[in-house]
Amino acid sequence: MKKTLMKGNHAAGEAAVRAGCMLFAGYPITPSTEIMEHLSARMPEEGRTFIQAENEIASIHMVGGAYCTGKRAMTATSAGGFSLMQEFTAYASDAELPFVIINVVRSGRGIGSLDPGQDGYRQSVYGGGNGDYRQIVYTPNTIQEMVDDIYESFETAEKYRMGVIILTESSMGQMMEPVVMPDYKFLETTPDWAVTGTHKWDRGAGGWPMKRKAWEEKMARVKAEMQRWDAVGLEDAEYVFVSYGLPSRSTGEAVKLLRAQGVKVGFIRPKIVSPFPVDAFKAVNRDVKGFLCIETTEFGQMVQDLALAVKGEFANNVPVHFNAYGIGVPSVKEVLAFYELIREGGSKEVF
Amino acid sequence: MKEAIFAGFGGQGVLTAGLVLAYTAMEQDRNTSWLPSYGASMRGGKANSTVKFGEDTEEVIGVPMMAEADVLVAMNRPSLDYMSFCKPGALVLVNQDALDEPYDFPEGLEIVLVPAAQLAYSVKNAKGASIVMIGALIKKTGFFTAEQAKQSMCNMFAEKGKSKLDALNLAAFDAGYNAV
Amino acid sequence: MEDIVRLSHLIDAPAPTACPGCGHLLFFRLIREVLDELDLTEKAIHANGIGCTGVHRAWQNHGYVPLTAHGRAAAVATGIKRTNPDAFVYTFQGDGDAAVIGLAETLNAAYRNENICVFISTNAVFGLTGGQMSWATLPGQKTTTSPLGRDCSTTGAPLHVPELITQVNPGIAYAARGTINSPKHIIQLKRMIRNAMEAQINNEGYSIVECMSVCPNNWHLTPLQCREHVENKVIPEFPLGEFKKRGE
Repeated sequence: MKKTLMKGNHAAGEAAVRAGCMLFAGYPITPSTEIMEHLSARMPEEGRTFIQAENEIASIHMVGGAYCTGKRAMTATSAGGFSLMQEFTAYASDAELPFVIINVVRSGRGIGSLDPGQDGYRQSVYGGGNGDYRQIVYTPNTIQEMVDDIYESFETAEKYRMGVIILTESSMGQMMEPVVMPDYKFLETTPDWAVTGTHKWDRGAGGWPMKRKAWEEKMARVKAEMQRWDAVGLEDAEYVFVSYGLPSRSTGEAVKLLRAQGVKVGFIRPKIVSPFPVDAFKAVNRDVKGFLCIETTEFGQMVQDLALAVKGEFANNVPVHFNAYGIGVPSVKEVLAFYELIREGGSKEVF
Repeated sequence: MKEAIFAGFGGQGVLTAGLVLAYTAMEQDRNTSWLPSYGASMRGGKANSTVKFGEDTEEVIGVPMMAEADVLVAMNRPSLDYMSFCKPGALVLVNQDALDEPYDFPEGLEIVLVPAAQLAYSVKNAKGASIVMIGALIKKTGFFTAEQAKQSMCNMFAEKGKSKLDALNLAAFDAGYNAV
Repeated sequence: MEDIVRLSHLIDAPAPTACPGCGHLLFFRLIREVLDELDLTEKAIHANGIGCTGVHRAWQNHGYVPLTAHGRAAAVATGIKRTNPDAFVYTFQGDGDAAVIGLAETLNAAYRNENICVFISTNAVFGLTGGQMSWATLPGQKTTTSPLGRDCSTTGAPLHVPELITQVNPGIAYAARGTINSPKHIIQLKRMIRNAMEAQINNEGYSIVECMSVCPNNWHLTPLQCREHVENKVIPEFPLGEFKKRGE
């Protein structure tokens, strides 16, 4: 398989083409726009649909229109654009309609900044719309992993009839890495839930008690089947780092350095943050002294899921330490400095 | 893992120069990452790219951000600020033609002045100063052989449909390679 | 009355969820009749609106799409039609839905000349939420949010959607307005619906038919008084006719 050096956003768009995405509708927003630019050329080339919509609300509804007829469809956005789509994700979630959104997070509230960040976590995991729902959220940390995740995401969305978010960061979209593109595939058969002239949508408003039970069963299945993580050195770890996305690359380097010096630290990297990989914590040393959450948010988003996972696994209230990196990607030095602080008995914020 | 920073004004070719190194690393089956600086405006102002690559085919790349560079290629004076991201003993290749007055370089770095603009001009490739610097970088660091780098550079431009510039780019590369 | 609630054989739901005398039912029945006459029922997909047009979804026995939040039906229909060019795709929306909250989606689908049919049943109020003012509410008309009568100096004046759309994109296939207050008008409206549907079948592009509907409950009128109201008050403000003829 030939490797090519590709920009993350271009690779993301191409992965969707390879995965059999038949419609892309989007609206330009930095730093996700190159996905749309790539597809504006590639989709017509493949005889598929590309639409530059009037706004993000319309673009995600076009995706929904296509997907409810069993046609793979996707959009990509960032920041405020993702916020606008939350009206849809709530409705789609209620209707158990699959969809795929690539959320290229940039830091900050409102207009925010163009720097990478991870404060789109909560909106992606919990859904930013009304009502209580969850989405399956992939958190790749290399361009190749992102390509593979997007390639798989459509099938995941269809299997569980749920929304799937690919959560990346602005720098993931802008950077280049060698990638191997997978072969073309298609959704060969029309799913039995697809709307046709003779088949209307089978789920939706009403039937609440029955729906609740079905949702419970579905979420249990998602939790059992979709947890995914990488782990290093958990058996003997005194402290365990937990990090995803680009910060997990700094953290990975820091852990490697520390372990080379004989320091007993472990590392859990969620490759999917929703469902959160709670099973990963079963392998952690029972005498662990604490967990260190390395994420780029201001008040902590993943740390809350992490704290619940730790609470579920350890009876003795093991501390989960959080450091607000706020914006960008913490450097290896910053990760090491945080570890030193904790090891010496200090702390920033404890969950 | 090796790290190189290419910095200059937008339009000086610092993104392309970084790409040549990343492309060469990829074609030698190394893991690699290329990260551009990213600002609101497209032209002018400071621009840079950070390239990292594995020292063997197994090594994975950690964080792609600028951290502790082995090499800095500085195409203009403000780019010398990035010396603060250099490891002790790192190589700093400076575009001499952009320094209109002497610069007080810090101790502990290997400073090499390259008349990049003049060399590019001498091979009739006035836009090729950043390619000159790639030639100099390959010679001074020995990261890859000149043949490997030149082949990858041509492959990269071929992918962009710019093979007609090969002769000019190779001349610029050689000019830099032979100047240091 | 019985004529209004007796539904076409195509509509197989247990019971209509509309109020007695509701105009939406009649408009929708005409749509279903033309679908049947043009042999489109088995390939028709319906992107629904929210509000009263949304609760009517229970009657549908053909391709009905679940998720059209307030105003987004034209965008949903766009996604369906672009990926299913052989399907017949239409929206059925009220005026609050298509012409107020969804004006952006309605206009932009027309702007792109999407090959879909948009049917707007305009009753000049937000019916399901209890009779608030819509952009089609007549000047001086009392609603729960214009209790002293609509004051156009602060609310804006009635919005004429088919005319607006014809201006935004003169290249669309068909735009018309009809009503249901008399047999003559019903026959005229049915002809408009047929034109709109034929336009889509022939890939002529976007078509829109607005039906000036009635809402006896929120207008606080009897169905018969509603007929008079449409004739004397609504039609002078919202003239019936074709604003874009096919092939023009």
